[in-house]
Amino acid sequence: MHDPLLTLGFGIVTASILALSAVAFTLEYAVTNVANVSHGEILTVGAYAAYLVHRQTGSAIAAAVAAALAGGLVGLAMYASLIGPFIRFGATPTIVFIATLGMSFVIQNTLVIIFGAANVAYTLDPGAPHQLGPFLVTSLDEEIVGSAIAITLVLYLIISRSKFGKALRAVSQNRELARVTGINATRVAAATFFLAGLIAGYAGFVLAAFVGSFTPYFGFGFFLITLTAAVAGGLGRAVGTMAGAVIVGIILEVVPALPVPFIGGYVSASYNLAIAFAILTLVILLRPRGLFTNARRTVFE
Amino acid sequence: MTAYLVSITTEGAIFGIMALGLNVIWGWSGDFDLAYYGYIAVGAYMTLVLTIGPATPPAQYILGLQLPFPLAVVIAAVTAMAVSLVVGSIALRHLRGIYFSIVTLGAVYVMYVIAGQFVPLFDGYNGLSGLFDPMGDVLGLDYESYQYFFLGVSVVMFVLVFLFMWRVSRSRFGMALRTLREDERAAAAFGRDIYRLKLKGYILGAGLAGLAGGLFAAYLSAFNPSAWSPVEVIVLYSAVLVGGRGNIVGVVLGVLIMGVVVQESTRFLPQVPILGELNTLHPQVLLALRGAIIGLVLVLFLRFRPQGLLPERRYVDPPLPAIEAAPRTQSA
Repeated sequence: MHDPLLTLGFGIVTASILALSAVAFTLEYAVTNVANVSHGEILTVGAYAAYLVHRQTGSAIAAAVAAALAGGLVGLAMYASLIGPFIRFGATPTIVFIATLGMSFVIQNTLVIIFGAANVAYTLDPGAPHQLGPFLVTSLDEEIVGSAIAITLVLYLIISRSKFGKALRAVSQNRELARVTGINATRVAAATFFLAGLIAGYAGFVLAAFVGSFTPYFGFGFFLITLTAAVAGGLGRAVGTMAGAVIVGIILEVVPALPVPFIGGYVSASYNLAIAFAILTLVILLRPRGLFTNARRTVFE
Repeated sequence: MTAYLVSITTEGAIFGIMALGLNVIWGWSGDFDLAYYGYIAVGAYMTLVLTIGPATPPAQYILGLQLPFPLAVVIAAVTAMAVSLVVGSIALRHLRGIYFSIVTLGAVYVMYVIAGQFVPLFDGYNGLSGLFDPMGDVLGLDYESYQYFFLGVSVVMFVLVFLFMWRVSRSRFGMALRTLREDERAAAAFGRDIYRLKLKGYILGAGLAGLAGGLFAAYLSAFNPSAWSPVEVIVLYSAVLVGGRGNIVGVVLGVLIMGVVVQESTRFLPQVPILGELNTLHPQVLLALRGAIIGLVLVLFLRFRPQGLLPERRYVDPPLPAIEAAPRTQSA
């Protein structure tokens, strides 16, 4: 068993969780043109909901459903109470960005008031590790990756085949034009936030179970990586974002394990965030519309 | 009570310098800079390593020059400006709006991770300490009178910065920064070098952050990664927003209001019966309540009074003189 392969296996699990979170974020961006900084808090709420329900019922399935539902409701509430009104009131994307940052502060601190700031240990039984191809995986890893792929496929079908998906794409391309053709853009956006919230809430549950613990601040930390993945793949583009998430997720796990002549021979895993932002800055400067599109170099709003 | 007042006024003066610096970047130039708290931290860290003695193992950090405090603060502010030059020259050239904010958020997290993880620089998570009452020995002050002395230093610095900003606000430079906020393309059409102007404003703001950081380090006498966090900048933003973006008198009012809200709410809320009970459950509850209030104030002001309590005076052109109809010329 080689180390790089082991971390690559880890990388795939991280990447699939990241893909769920990032695709939810990019959908939120697509229908509003606003980067929702409080997106990470949907994951946090999902993790708390899963933890509470799991403790009550003892069922991981119930926990997953609770996480998704809680996430969906939080996403819907974010749109209905803050993002929607700001957009109707004519605020610029930067102003809404600041407002969602403020909301993220409110939610994090409300969670601290209710649950305290201490780490909550939350683990699922990972099962015995076994060999799968070149990787050593647990059944928990398989379930995480499998569920991420299944959710992605369903989401793809919804976006590409359903009438709602068509409306979503129309609103994301041109909100005004969509409204002219009789689409209720506000309702489509609200429904999209609910859908994104379902996915993000589930991602929060999976991430908490994978990491083994969480705090009220845990979603915000993961949001910073989510942002990197979404920008790398192209903000507002679902398929590109998925690809960006896979690339970023694997880089984040593999790069720290590479022997680099820097402090003790290895880049510590704590540098993860710094690496993510280095990628993010490079992408924004060189390919601001994402890795998979040809576009102008400058980003003026 | 007097000691409390002295302490809160000192903190308010330092906080005021920070907010005035942020006002240059966000209030006038119009860029939502999330790296700002990083420059405060650079100022604080540099002041400490320049004034305390050399590192004794197991502690390790750079320098340790035991320079006099005023010189150290100046060097610290210049260092903060140098760091902001690097960040600004990357982030301001092509990026605006949320892309600028995201890159500066990245920059500050890189600074935070390096300060916390790269031990040889500022001793990692242990951070730096040992700056006790700078200049107190030279002037022969005891602990009690030193508090008044440092209050005086902070207030004088604040007043100097305020007067300087007063001049900058009305200067051609201040006006030019505002035109960039309102309409960059129009400013370019009138021959302004957008990038250089924005960069100058950014570095000026960061210099004030470094200065305030140096004073803050002396006020705290220590600095480490648990003493600051990149999101602390929200408090400064809420002060600038509440007072009035772009209006320096408004910014000072915002600092007063947020200072009162932040400090006093955490003092008096435990007396509210229900909250007092919560406080016995979780020790961090009051801090969290403070954070939630700040976030809420930010959101509510953005929605209902984005111009703040004391709005910036808008410079409106005087109406053009009415043009008399020219007398018809009889063509022959």
